[in-house]
Amino acid sequence: MGCHCEENIFVPKEAKIVKAAQVTEREKHFTLKMADGAKFEYAPGQILEVSLMGYGEIPIGLASSPTSSNGTFDIVVRTVGRVSTAINRLEEGGTMLIRGPLGNGFPIDELKGHNVVVVAGGIGLCPTRSLIKYIMDERASFKEFTLLYGARNPEEQMFQDDLKLWRGSSDVCFHEIVDKGNDKWKGKVGVITNLFKEATVKPDSKVVICGPPIMFRFVIRELKKAGVKENNIFLDLERRMKCGVGKCGHCQINDKYVCIDGPVFNYTDLKQLEEAL
Amino acid sequence: MNKYFIKAQDFETFVTKLVEAKQVIGPVAKKSRFVFEKLKNSKELRLDYDVTVLPPKKEFFPTCQPIVKFEGDKFEGCVNVEEKILFGVHFYDIKALDMTDLLYNENHRDINYMAHREAATIVGSNVQNIAERAFFGTVGVHVKPKGHDAFLTKIDDGYLFETYTDKGEALVSFGTFTKAKKEHESNALDVNNRVMGKCPEVLDYVGYESVANKVRKAFNNTAFWEDCAKDCFSCGSCNIVCPTCYCFDVQDNWNVDQVSGTRTRKWDGCLTEDFAKISLGFGAQENFREKRGDRFRHRIMRKTTYLNAKLGGPACVGCGRCSMSCTSDIADPVNVINKIMEV
Repeated sequence: MGCHCEENIFVPKEAKIVKAAQVTEREKHFTLKMADGAKFEYAPGQILEVSLMGYGEIPIGLASSPTSSNGTFDIVVRTVGRVSTAINRLEEGGTMLIRGPLGNGFPIDELKGHNVVVVAGGIGLCPTRSLIKYIMDERASFKEFTLLYGARNPEEQMFQDDLKLWRGSSDVCFHEIVDKGNDKWKGKVGVITNLFKEATVKPDSKVVICGPPIMFRFVIRELKKAGVKENNIFLDLERRMKCGVGKCGHCQINDKYVCIDGPVFNYTDLKQLEEAL
Repeated sequence: MNKYFIKAQDFETFVTKLVEAKQVIGPVAKKSRFVFEKLKNSKELRLDYDVTVLPPKKEFFPTCQPIVKFEGDKFEGCVNVEEKILFGVHFYDIKALDMTDLLYNENHRDINYMAHREAATIVGSNVQNIAERAFFGTVGVHVKPKGHDAFLTKIDDGYLFETYTDKGEALVSFGTFTKAKKEHESNALDVNNRVMGKCPEVLDYVGYESVANKVRKAFNNTAFWEDCAKDCFSCGSCNIVCPTCYCFDVQDNWNVDQVSGTRTRKWDGCLTEDFAKISLGFGAQENFREKRGDRFRHRIMRKTTYLNAKLGGPACVGCGRCSMSCTSDIADPVNVINKIMEV
């Protein structure tokens, strides 16, 4: 009967690398556009399955906002295993393969008109950057905007241009901390929850958290102390999203698939799911 | 659609004609067990099988399935579909296929499964012999088999052949069928009803909703799950033989030329240690179901609760394959569920 013409959800599309920058020792920041010239439409917080044939596929959160991307979109890849190592050897003009956008993204409409707090730990700044940029671009649609960012050390801080901008901007109350400083670092040293001592988190804030699994529990504890309601907390989860389309089972938490029901979940939904946090 | 009767002495000719004209997959003997395999002739067909080692889902979702082929910078999907007749499927496996059909069809429809499924004709057959660990008589009995094209029931002097679709009806031209009489129908009904009471294993609690609630409530009884799983080898055999398991891994492999290769999906199982593990970088890893008890619990939850809303019943059909395949003999859902329900 031969080949089927119906769309095959596992066949990726080509994306051209418009810009590639090694932003830390392990992380590379790519700006991409679709090779066929098609407009890439997506929402902040959605994910991509990124691959190279012969190496494999990995899930990566989009790191740019559709409000300012001009047809391009960004991802940041950390060199961890076989696939990410191969992808991070690519340079400007190269091609990688993508499937997506996949997943639900951040609840932008729920955040609009409210005080918003984003808490990002480590590489968690990459997916949340899609939201941060969205808020900065559509600033009038949101009330107070606070960003808390924790990194392991100053060398691993990503998006240096953005950080510079946020530090000096009156559009965002930006607080940052590193686990371990260096000679040049004049900022705060400690864990991300220390930032709650100085940052004002109003009880009616809508809060988005993304970071290493261990971080969620401690940040949620601080948010509860600040009086933030559980249904105003949103978590951007990381799991082994192998297929990205709710089939392969690897990212399943109870009856939820992180790749299609998430990766962004409301805390009230997640806390019922024992394996979520 | 229609109900036919075929005499016992005409049945072999019917199968012979089918095998000559079409690709027919049916249960055949392999040493002391049975497997679904392409029939070379009608004599191979063993409708008296108890249960096959692997469920028939392998015909649409092969253990190892190429999904993308690549050569240099070029790549394309590879859904190459062959028409086939899946002949002699027991009702519990038909139920399981109906579940995987739904799960692969919903949300992002997966053509890699659906194209094979839609090109197939499924002919069921009644259970003539019962597997030693089967419990299909007491699990999800309200969920009726559907999605198949025809069903054969062996009665005294022949077979009742019921057709439900045009694909099923088309098979009638291959044999000497007559219109079934009322007594053929009632005999077949009796045969199929009787087998439900003959399973060697029995769930003590039949209401699937009460089972689901109680199992769900046992989630945090860590000691119970650890105890259930203390002899688990994390081999995933229970997943691999399960007709309702459909998880997979995707791997890329180069050909020897180092230019071309294949992206392949392979059956995977949530009981294996790495199933929910991710790398965080800096040598750090996170395993979201690190303990054997966590993984054991996940499987039982998945079979008894997680998918119920979608499937309208449990994701278990009582075939008994997991119990038969488990080296430590700890996988049997009957034991686990009965224990939970006793408390």
